[in-house]
Amino acid sequence: MKNKGLSAYILPCATGALYCFLYIPICILIIFSFNSVAFPSKWVSFSLRWYEALVQDPEIWFVTFNSLIIALSSVFLSLVIGVCFVFYASFKRWRYAISTFYANLMIPEIILAVSLLGLFSFFSVPLSITTVIMGHTVLGLGYVVPIVYTRLQELDKSILEASLDLGASIHQTFFFIVLPFLMPALVVSGLLVFIISLDDFLIAFFCAGPSAQTLSIYVFSMMRIGINPTLNALSTIMLVFSSAIVFVFTLLRSRIRIF
Amino acid sequence: MAKGKHGIVTKMNKIRIDDEWSFFALVPALLWQILFLVVPVGLIILLSCVYFVGYTPVVTGSFFAHVFKLAYIRIIIFSLFMGLFTASLSLFIGYPTAYFLAFYVKDWLKNVLLFLLILPFWTNFLIHVYAWFFMLKRDGLLNDFLFSLGFIKEPLHLFNNLFAVSLVMLYCYIPFMVLPLYTVLEKIDPSLLEASQDLGASSSQTFFKVVFPLSIAGVLTGFILVFVPSFGEFVIPLLVGGEKYALVGSVIQYLFLSARDMNLGAAFTCLSSIILLLSIACIYILFNKKIIK
Repeated sequence: MKNKGLSAYILPCATGALYCFLYIPICILIIFSFNSVAFPSKWVSFSLRWYEALVQDPEIWFVTFNSLIIALSSVFLSLVIGVCFVFYASFKRWRYAISTFYANLMIPEIILAVSLLGLFSFFSVPLSITTVIMGHTVLGLGYVVPIVYTRLQELDKSILEASLDLGASIHQTFFFIVLPFLMPALVVSGLLVFIISLDDFLIAFFCAGPSAQTLSIYVFSMMRIGINPTLNALSTIMLVFSSAIVFVFTLLRSRIRIF
Repeated sequence: MAKGKHGIVTKMNKIRIDDEWSFFALVPALLWQILFLVVPVGLIILLSCVYFVGYTPVVTGSFFAHVFKLAYIRIIIFSLFMGLFTASLSLFIGYPTAYFLAFYVKDWLKNVLLFLLILPFWTNFLIHVYAWFFMLKRDGLLNDFLFSLGFIKEPLHLFNNLFAVSLVMLYCYIPFMVLPLYTVLEKIDPSLLEASQDLGASSSQTFFKVVFPLSIAGVLTGFILVFVPSFGEFVIPLLVGGEKYALVGSVIQYLFLSARDMNLGAAFTCLSSIILLLSIACIYILFNKKIIK
């Protein structure tokens, strides 16, 4: 096990190099969001002017609002639909029906996006926020169903039997026993779906249409124009927000061990 | 077997639920799945070989014939190459890190490093692409850095070329390689490595005869997780490749959104999906042969 040459130098160096590769560009992006002068010039002085410009831009608020509506609706829909389905399907022993939901994540996202676009334009459904929500809920079910199912497997069946034997209705059992037990899995999968929906670009790009801009599409169209310090400010805020959610997520995950 | 008041059938230790609600609970998810996953994918397959005159469907092979042109085939081959290149490169670069994380790092440092590895999965990947704008542009930091070290006299062209595309693709997808590798490596019992060394194997023998074969499942998962999205990429070549390089995703996006030709787009999507599935099958067979060896 003790191999000095390899373990002492090469491996830590390779790891360090990879982490530098992963995070130096991000750090520079963040640093430039606080620079008082726009990009081609180097660091001048600390300033929050790009953040002020960001806050004062009405379009940013509009697209953020759109993205939040989409994300919250997809979370709500996929949790409600998913949990009801898993609860009943697991008692009916519909393993196959549950395992089909793994396909939602295995199918390449661009194919899913294009297929949805094909469906909507074939039946002349106007593209809007609603069509994006439909797509994101498909993705969301792919996370909610497996995670909730895994958690439900750990529930001691005799508790359910006891509850039913003692006269609780199936709905009482569901709301007072199953749902509290599933709560950590619901929080974790809800967070996941929320962040996936907020960060998703492909489905929004294909299924949103021109009227319904989301945050990702807005970032994309700004990137096509080129470097813009306001976009750095926006990216920094999005990165901080996502990191906070991932942090909560990892804490919960280590607490309840559902994977 | 007794049927209870609420339609609950208790039989031995098994609980079965039979009530009118189960229908309403089961149908939405299945309906959603069918309406927004099965039907759309089926429709794409259908549209690739059928067009409609009014409401009458006409079957034709002309869309596939149109897609079977050298220009399209060349793009598919180029995408296969880019996917394999990105996946292999991220395997070589990611393996040492996964190995180090699994066997040498402990406690809080491990948690921090894992957190940093998971983070890219849940942050907007457009931001990751954008971050490279500052490194790669003509007056970007990479050029500045090389200039100040005296390696170059005038700025290199690092942006809007194949170098930028492959670098950013590697950057975006390498976490997809490291994480599955780590998951597999972490489960390997370190005493196996000690046993191998005690029995006289050199460290490279230990690696190639013990560790690597045990990690093959992670290698395979990582390889496919990197290969599939890089094959279908269109954002990265568009944003950092100066629209000079088309991957499969670029063509799909062009046919559906710019040319607005559903049938051709569907035919191309089907063709590239078939080739994607075939190449995944090849990768599987290749890795499985390695295990048997």
